[in-house]
Amino acid sequence: MADLRIDLAGIKSPNPFWLASAPPTNSGYQVQRAFEAGWGGAVWKTLGEPILNVSSRFAAVSFNGQRVAGFNNIELITDRPLEVNLQEILETKKRFPNHAIIASLMVEPKQEKWHEIVKKVEAVGVDGLELNFGCPHGMAERGMGSASGQVPELVERQTHWVKEVARTPVIVKLTPNITDITMTAEAAVRGGADAISMINTINSLAGVDLDSWNTVPHVGGKGAHGGYCGPAVKPIALNMVAECARNRFVNVPISGIGGISNWQDAAEFMLMGATGVQVCTAAMHHGFSIVEDMIDGLNNYLDDKGIASVMDLVGQSVQRYSNWGDLDLNYNIVAEINNDVCINCNKCHIACEDTSHQCIDMYTESGRPMLKVREVDCVGCNLCAIVCPVDGAISMVERRSTIPPMTWNERQSLISNFSR
Amino acid sequence: MTMSEYLLSLDEMKQVDAYLDKGFQVHSVNENLSGMFVEFKRLEEVVSLQILTAEARKYFAAKLLEQSMF
Repeated sequence: MADLRIDLAGIKSPNPFWLASAPPTNSGYQVQRAFEAGWGGAVWKTLGEPILNVSSRFAAVSFNGQRVAGFNNIELITDRPLEVNLQEILETKKRFPNHAIIASLMVEPKQEKWHEIVKKVEAVGVDGLELNFGCPHGMAERGMGSASGQVPELVERQTHWVKEVARTPVIVKLTPNITDITMTAEAAVRGGADAISMINTINSLAGVDLDSWNTVPHVGGKGAHGGYCGPAVKPIALNMVAECARNRFVNVPISGIGGISNWQDAAEFMLMGATGVQVCTAAMHHGFSIVEDMIDGLNNYLDDKGIASVMDLVGQSVQRYSNWGDLDLNYNIVAEINNDVCINCNKCHIACEDTSHQCIDMYTESGRPMLKVREVDCVGCNLCAIVCPVDGAISMVERRSTIPPMTWNERQSLISNFSR
Repeated sequence: MTMSEYLLSLDEMKQVDAYLDKGFQVHSVNENLSGMFVEFKRLEEVVSLQILTAEARKYFAAKLLEQSMF
């Protein structure tokens, strides 16, 4: 049995699975049920001046039968008075002293506003603070959320204001709605952040109803952009975590967020530098009990790998993530088709012929249709293996190059000596 | 025309080898929208080669590295 406990910038929790600040953490009732189910921590739904919401608020994107491949929301922060939330945090912390409760906060970018709310929420015993510089909708129109989070100077200054009075670790939650998230991550660190979390949701419009021509969702016939999350955003989030993890100026722990739906996703984020993960959409889709499989799966994975503590996973793959210019131009893989398994659907041939390098030939052997890869023309793009519906029918295999490894950067450096 | 460039790249690699085998040294390398342009030099003799294919341009860089190491 591996040790699943984590310590993220001094915030300790019994496992790396936290609920993200969102509808699942709106109340003490919900957070306590989540802790009973096994979640290690919860980031309370963002506290600030109570807002007004609209109806409806959510929409989901299904893809080829996969429900909730992506999720869109236009819900804002808490609509309940601060004192109500604080009383429930107090009660929840009392019942679950060893679970992590982090207060997500959002106020106007004014020093006195940050000081006031930090002091009030810390007084009820939260384990940490998460500054919401990420929500892209509604609050951003009022200068908060991602409107603050897209300006490095505002991230730095507001983080600094919080650190002036905070006694608990401060996590800065970053928006992905920016060209280079490391710019705002560095700003958070300069402001004194103890950790960063990412990603908040991505600007989105879930769809347009082809009958009514209304947006999805719509509010009485009108729509506004929302925030997109769920499994579809995982690769975007994972890259942003990795880019921050390998940035030498972002030398604080990372709480990974974005489409994490199972223990495998969590392990990937941790390998890429996250000390723990936050989950929302998967819990909204399947309920709090999904954490049981997450805990069991991660535990079994660590045991199989002979790893004693989940903290030993953190950042193990970061060094394997680099710039394109540092990849070996002469590394070769090619596709290999196993005709004993192949069902001759020809999807690989069509994909290769229409959209790649035309290197999968069709032929007949003893009256049976067969497919074969012309290795000399295969560039190892993976497309055939990606579109193949049968496990094991196409393998990508290494072919030793006849020339030594050389990266693009090395090549350009070499060639520059001969440029005349 | 398909993306298959194998035969062309083989031909280009052979041309690179041929010049090097004859004692030519790489004198200059320039790349532009039309590919790679290499000048080989042996004493006062200069010959030019345009390399079109990606594989041959990789191969040429490996040969250039060899030349630079010796």
